[in-house]
Amino acid sequence: MSDDLQKTLDAFAGTPTGPKGTCPYPVNEPMIHHWCDATGDRNPAYLDAAAAKETGRDGVIAPPAMLQAWTMRGLRPATADEEAHAEALGDQKQPLDVLDEAGFTSVVATNCEQEYFRELVPGDQISHEVTTESISGEKKTGLGVGHFVTQLYTYKDAAGEVVATMRFRILKFRPPQ
Amino acid sequence: MSETRSLASVSVGDALPSLEIPLTRTLIVSTAIASRDYQDVHHDHVLAQERGSPDIFMNILTTNGFVGRFVTDWTGAGATLKKIDIRLGAPNYPGDTMTIEGAVTAKDEEAGTIEVSVRGANRLGDHVTGTVLVALPN
Repeated sequence: MSDDLQKTLDAFAGTPTGPKGTCPYPVNEPMIHHWCDATGDRNPAYLDAAAAKETGRDGVIAPPAMLQAWTMRGLRPATADEEAHAEALGDQKQPLDVLDEAGFTSVVATNCEQEYFRELVPGDQISHEVTTESISGEKKTGLGVGHFVTQLYTYKDAAGEVVATMRFRILKFRPPQ
Repeated sequence: MSETRSLASVSVGDALPSLEIPLTRTLIVSTAIASRDYQDVHHDHVLAQERGSPDIFMNILTTNGFVGRFVTDWTGAGATLKKIDIRLGAPNYPGDTMTIEGAVTAKDEEAGTIEVSVRGANRLGDHVTGTVLVALPN
């Protein structure tokens, strides 16, 4: 591996990656029910307001592991904010582009660490920001030689309060010949 | 599951009942869509194969969901999930079964939390391993 590549990669540490992810729909009960039906989760804290109140809550909460779903872009068109961001970036390379060009074209997610600071409730408007936390030096792995890229997602509510974080690690590796 | 386990009733070493998840094609597609994840590898087997995968596979959001459910099925509704920290392994392909097992590995009386270690395996090996931090009422 060249020192130049590692320098380029190291320069990404602590930098924001991508536009702010916004909530196309506020946290809502129909989406909570769809999710609980699909995963078979019958936790009354998610589904039954009276039972949720018995646990000391004000009403139903969203399943905490549903966190990412609220800011997932899905199939909607890009917002003005996202378009402006893409334009501002222009040809500026992102960490994954740099790794692609260096031959580390394959990707696999290796770790996901979510921490929840408060339970989300219907009506919450969630957004997220992403920072590239670190990019490892070249590592030999079972899949091939590659770099681990760790991104930190910070989720906030409409008041700007941090409600959760997610640390997501992927391996960008060179596919074996 | 109307009763919630209290912190006092739980000890390090307690095993949770295992959870078997039959990985039907419908499950993999419906959970991806319910999480608003429309990446083709989670619903289109032709494109998944073009990308080098033998079939569609479960998205990570859903893995988190099952890990959370595994713990709250046992704790009851009054518990509060604080953290899900997972490492990902063999993909969950249709036709397989994932079995999740786990046990209490730590207890923090002051914080009112327990840590549950979790392992979800399919016939290819470990799909997911990790820990869940959950707060229980006294």
